[in-house]
Amino acid sequence: MSTFSGLNTAYRGLSAAKAGLDVSGQNIANARTEGYTRQRLTTSAIGGPAMAGKFSLGVRPGGGVNIDGIARLGDVHLDARVRAAAGVSGFSAARATAFSGLESALNEPGDKGISTQLDKFWASWQDVANAPGEAAQGGVLLQQAGALAKQLSTTYSEFDNQWSQLRGEVRDLTAELNSAATQLADLNGRIRSATASGSSVNELLDQRSLLTTTIAAIAGGTVRDAGDGTIDVYIGGNALVTGTTARSVNVIGSNTMAGSDTNPVTLEWSHRPGTAISLDGGELGGAVSMLAPAAAGGPIAKAAESLNAFAQKLADAVNTVHRTGAIADGSTGHDFFAFTAGKPLAQGLTIVPTGIADIAAAKPGNGGLDGSIADAISQLGEGAGSPDTFWSNFVVELGVTTRSENRQADLSNLATTAAVGKQLANASVDIDEENVSLLMYQHAYQGAARVMTAVDEMLDVLINRTGLVGR
Amino acid sequence: MISRVTQQTSMLAAQRNLQSSAAQLAKLQDQAMTRKAFSRASEDPSGAADAMRIRSQQRSNDQYSRNIDNGLGWVTTIDSTLTEINDAMKRVRDLTVQGANDGALSPTAKEAIAVELDSLKEQLLGLANTQYLGRSVFAGNSSDGVAFNPDYSFTGAAGSTVERRIGTDTTVRVDGDGAAAFGVGANSVFALIDTIATELRGGTNIGARLGDIDQRMNALRTEHSAVGSRHALIMRAEETVMDKTGSLEAQRAAVEDIELSRIILDLKSQEISYQAALGVTARVLQPTLMDFLR
Repeated sequence: MSTFSGLNTAYRGLSAAKAGLDVSGQNIANARTEGYTRQRLTTSAIGGPAMAGKFSLGVRPGGGVNIDGIARLGDVHLDARVRAAAGVSGFSAARATAFSGLESALNEPGDKGISTQLDKFWASWQDVANAPGEAAQGGVLLQQAGALAKQLSTTYSEFDNQWSQLRGEVRDLTAELNSAATQLADLNGRIRSATASGSSVNELLDQRSLLTTTIAAIAGGTVRDAGDGTIDVYIGGNALVTGTTARSVNVIGSNTMAGSDTNPVTLEWSHRPGTAISLDGGELGGAVSMLAPAAAGGPIAKAAESLNAFAQKLADAVNTVHRTGAIADGSTGHDFFAFTAGKPLAQGLTIVPTGIADIAAAKPGNGGLDGSIADAISQLGEGAGSPDTFWSNFVVELGVTTRSENRQADLSNLATTAAVGKQLANASVDIDEENVSLLMYQHAYQGAARVMTAVDEMLDVLINRTGLVGR
Repeated sequence: MISRVTQQTSMLAAQRNLQSSAAQLAKLQDQAMTRKAFSRASEDPSGAADAMRIRSQQRSNDQYSRNIDNGLGWVTTIDSTLTEINDAMKRVRDLTVQGANDGALSPTAKEAIAVELDSLKEQLLGLANTQYLGRSVFAGNSSDGVAFNPDYSFTGAAGSTVERRIGTDTTVRVDGDGAAAFGVGANSVFALIDTIATELRGGTNIGARLGDIDQRMNALRTEHSAVGSRHALIMRAEETVMDKTGSLEAQRAAVEDIELSRIILDLKSQEISYQAALGVTARVLQPTLMDFLR
């Protein structure tokens, strides 16, 4: 037992208390830092020296406290749950947003939608039936038909714009994913070397955890621990990051909705072109699934196709009856609607007649002022197979799908909130707790200082006041 | 299990709760301002389908009402024209009876009757060509501008009638059947009057023509009663359409509109709960241990 061992024990206590204060300071400083995980000083007691000598007797007190390290109080399982939830919620949020966009482009139900224009269109045919040959009623009909065609075309353009916008988002998300993968690979390397040199990697781990959550939200990635301090990240079953190697993802496929039928938008590995990545989660997965061609169930392309089908149905229904009617010069077989070649049907719908003389309102042989054909056309909106029913079914179907997508997004959002709440409850800094720690370490410091003073006084007595007898 | 509560978790929870409370408030405000229960199909898909169907029915119903107004114009025109025609025909019959008494009539008196008959024929021809909004009401769908040409030929096509749609499956005829009422060509009422005038001037007794005149008057009366019954039909349809306008509006309001008193109540209580949430959050988030340590 050395004379100064007491001083050393006290010194160790002092430095441990000071380290504890520093850790609490770091925690408080980062109380609002995103992704920060609270840290704790871990210490252990140093045992007394072993009694090896033959004549050593008695027990010895321990040698003070040892600073073992600074522990990061994260929980990998909670982190994994956050990643899983973020993947699902990113996917459904991307889909729900796109569906809401489609729905709001329709303006239904209300008096600004296509259904209202359609009702007005049929009603103008009634007015023409009431006054065949009158230029005013004919003009109103042609103007109303034009308004209907215009609104159909505008709605189609809005769908097309939404597709292009989402296509741009896919490009941006892919760039974000690739940059996150590169950063993660870099962090892997730094963590590996820092771990090997024995320094603290807590802050690097926090950053890496944030990046994995980002990747999960974008592409639904899963994480596997490689065992040497690095982690591997997998998306769609293939490794995005292994150790310090990051692979990048490319978006290929058409930049327009029209071209996506033959050249669908897909993701592929840049190091292995031609192999598509099928993502089952994440915003990117959701966005790519919305961009699929109509044949593969892509919702935007399908909605646009429904508009085309509606245009075709409307034109066919009106033309079939209109052809049986006679125009002013008595000839029959004239179309009312036509399609511009080379355009989508919904955008290429044009009106053939230019004036009342070209509108076939009369049945041949019934006299020039007959309106029975116009009346027959006005009744095309009624019944089960009518364009109106087709339109209303389309609107309701889109509404039902949007509703269920919204619900899914809400639910997965709740799951994410719960997972993040659990993670934060475990990892976030509590100021009260840190205050208590500060108090404790402060007192521990004061105590250790007192011990040091006591040893100092003892030695003072021993050295300076002992052996003065009789002097 | 009570999970660990930190400033960050309680801050997040407070933020989330305030956010959802504010979102609820915004939705209610939107509903109160538009007074619509939903503005998107996804909020209530079956309601949206109903709303679209009812709106379409409302538009059709409005159109039926317009058609009925137009049809009423036609039949009232025909009705008053036929009344005038009936008066003229009565005069023709009186003159024929007078003229048939040829023993007591001087040639001058006969000539006077013949001249009056001529002018009555012109009046009848004019009445038969009566127009409503530029359309000859007895000419069917003819585009010739008149129902009867000066040679008494009828311009309308057989079987071609003017119809007005007064309901989804119902149309009603609004024109007068000129051929049936007046007769065509040599068999027409105009030719008959010409014949009577000629015979009167020529000295033939016209008493035998009374039967022909009665026949034509019968035909005109038949047409008049047919028009009258169609008039009644249209009036009934007008009432139906008006009833339907009310009931459709009620249906639409039930599906689409929101009850104002209820929404205001909801809005008020949501406002209060939002303010309460704000107050509670402000109180909960303030204190930490630091406030109590020296």
